[in-house]
Amino acid sequence: MWRAGQAPPLQTLRVAGRTWRFLRTRWRVTDRGGWHNLARTRTTKKLAQRIDLNYFKRPTLLKRAKFWLSVAVPLLAVVWIAWHGFSRDSSVYSSGRMSGAHAVLEAECAACHVQTAGTFSAKASDTACLSCHDGPMHHAAKMDAGDCATCHAEHRGRMSLIAARNESCAQCHGDLKTSNGATRFAAHIESFEDGHPEFAALRSNGAVAASDPGTIRVNHAIHMKPIRRGPNGPNVQLACGDCHQAAAASAKWNYADAAYTTATTSYTDLDEVLALQADAFHRSKPMSGRELVAPVKFAYACAGCHSLAFDKRFSEGVPHDKPEVAHAFLVKKFGEYISAHPAEVRVMRDPGRDLTGKPLAPEVRVLTPTQWVTERTAEAEELLWRKTCKQCHALKVGDRQDHLPSVEPARTTVKWMPHAKFDHNAHRGFSCESCHQKALTSTETSEVLLPGIATCKACHAPGPEHAESRCFECHTYHDWSKRKEVIPTFTLPALRKTGN
Amino acid sequence: MRIDKTQRGWAITSLILVAVFTAIYVVYAVHAPEGPRGGSDLGLTFGVIGFGFMLFAALLGARKRVPTWRIGRAQAWMRGHLWLGLLSLPVILFHGGFHFGGTLTRVLMWLLIITVVSGVFGAALQHYVPRVMTTDVKLETIYDEIGNVQKLLREEADRGVETICGPLGIGKSANEEVQRAGGFSAARPMVTSSGGAAVAAETVVLSEEECAPLRKFYLSEMRPFLEQPKMRGSRLSDADKAHGAFTGLQTLMPEAAQATVQDLEDICDEARQLVRQEQLHHLLHGWLLVHIPISLALILLGAVHAVMALRY
Repeated sequence: MWRAGQAPPLQTLRVAGRTWRFLRTRWRVTDRGGWHNLARTRTTKKLAQRIDLNYFKRPTLLKRAKFWLSVAVPLLAVVWIAWHGFSRDSSVYSSGRMSGAHAVLEAECAACHVQTAGTFSAKASDTACLSCHDGPMHHAAKMDAGDCATCHAEHRGRMSLIAARNESCAQCHGDLKTSNGATRFAAHIESFEDGHPEFAALRSNGAVAASDPGTIRVNHAIHMKPIRRGPNGPNVQLACGDCHQAAAASAKWNYADAAYTTATTSYTDLDEVLALQADAFHRSKPMSGRELVAPVKFAYACAGCHSLAFDKRFSEGVPHDKPEVAHAFLVKKFGEYISAHPAEVRVMRDPGRDLTGKPLAPEVRVLTPTQWVTERTAEAEELLWRKTCKQCHALKVGDRQDHLPSVEPARTTVKWMPHAKFDHNAHRGFSCESCHQKALTSTETSEVLLPGIATCKACHAPGPEHAESRCFECHTYHDWSKRKEVIPTFTLPALRKTGN
Repeated sequence: MRIDKTQRGWAITSLILVAVFTAIYVVYAVHAPEGPRGGSDLGLTFGVIGFGFMLFAALLGARKRVPTWRIGRAQAWMRGHLWLGLLSLPVILFHGGFHFGGTLTRVLMWLLIITVVSGVFGAALQHYVPRVMTTDVKLETIYDEIGNVQKLLREEADRGVETICGPLGIGKSANEEVQRAGGFSAARPMVTSSGGAAVAAETVVLSEEECAPLRKFYLSEMRPFLEQPKMRGSRLSDADKAHGAFTGLQTLMPEAAQATVQDLEDICDEARQLVRQEQLHHLLHGWLLVHIPISLALILLGAVHAVMALRY
């Protein structure tokens, strides 16, 4: 056992067959001849001595991991891409998901990317697009607008291909030039907010103010206030929908008259509406019939109040039809009547109808039935042509050989914006007068009650908090009235297989 | 590499490039009829520039493997790697119009993002970890030798305890029997002393009773700690708790053993610092395990994308 003052312990080390004896560093001879335990020392030399000079040749875990990961990860990438290559799946190279309409072609690259024989390139071309659907031209005088992909960018996800950016339209409409050098449209439109003029129907043409071409006299202001229903009817408050409804609407008509709704007429719907140019109908999809408000029909909207009574002997009114039809009806009615009431050929003069300046008729006259019918018909037509019909219709007297008046065509405007589409059905959540405010005060037919562009801009503006305002929302590029049917070539089994 | 004032030129150039690219992109994006696309002329230009930046950044690895190449200073390559690699992200985003596209392009975008983000993380670590290393690891050694030094420390501790307590009965491997030169208490040729007869190495200088607390502490706590310094749960892995333990041990040991106890505390401290160094080293270099493999895959798939994009 070691005691203070004794020699310090030594260590032996056998290296390469030789035995070394070592004194531990902390032991040192003290002044009194003993041994003292010294603290550990740390010198550069000692630090260096414990390092294996070939340490950098030994791979550490970190180095090994770095190396093998650098081999494995790229190898994995190669295997992954090669696997797609061997399985002939080119969809991995797709630059993005396809639009909803083309989603079925997601794995069928060759449907659009037609490989030209002998070349590496397999770019999508207009030919591929046109093999499935037609793309009718926009305007005969348009300048070149590029290929399909200029406006319809595919591989942008499940978005609608018709949702083209404003810039697509502004390529031409930002500085409109036509092949024939003339245009009747605004020449500098960048977007709905930038450069879009007021709707054409509301624009003055020089000194001529915008005017409704319709000829049916309507005082909207009177109809929007409480109004008497017929000569002896109660007061009623009309709503817009009592007269104006979408073509395909099946709502109840509050002021219809069955006698008129079931009657056939000699005129057609087209006789009532303003003749439109064929190219005004740009339709990208079949109409639902609820987009536009149908022309007001007398039978459904007016007959409930506006009686076409023509003689006190009859409770029914004259047909709402052309004058010759009404005339024939009157002759027939009066003829039937006098046959049933032959005594009435004896006509007493009605003192109430004596008019100053006119010779008085004899006190009592006895007419032949024909004469009676002629007189009664004339009286009825006097009432109709001068008052009842004229209240709404513009009549011309004297330009017909049969002495009947001619009725001005109604020229009702069905579509106020022939180059745009508007869907009343999509706006059914709003009250009519919130947009058509002028209807509350309009007294003249000539007043255009179409809301101005400012009304639309209240909701349709850029930004997520607003309704869509890009061009495609109202306008359609292709003139679908000129579409040509394309014979489809795809088969379901072919599209179901993946790859290529 | 630290990003300091010496890199002002690179930083300003990069900012100017980003500003120019951004301005070009904004004008292009606003006026492109159907929005920015990778296949448009400008989109392709952005793609080529971005891929060029990535390629240059990737070539740093090759430059490092062949340090004798006389193609610019390594420092310039590193700076180019940092700044052009960083620039490649916005340029490629401009290339794709901020769309991640289909399967391959989506994979590429994420690989690029991971590569750039890991690179930025690594560059940020270069500012933080060395300072922490200086503060926390005063007894730093070469990372590759940490295991070896830990073994030497264990042997030194064994010898210290055996010297005063006698054999500990610990089976040692052949490696541990062969000790390299050097080390704190490494053996050195004996200095001749006055009364100096050589004494056996395993001389016991304390009685068994005196030695019992040290022997118990060493065998039950310290040696397990030295064998697995990263193992949690030992109070010796915490500096304050370890100091408390050794202070308590010193009160139980005679004067002759105080220096040895002190040595053991120093050894524990150094072992703890080496663990800390190892942790910091892993932090400082571990991001490369992500950065390098992902960037290699990025370059490889990027080349495939470039070729196939020309086809479609």
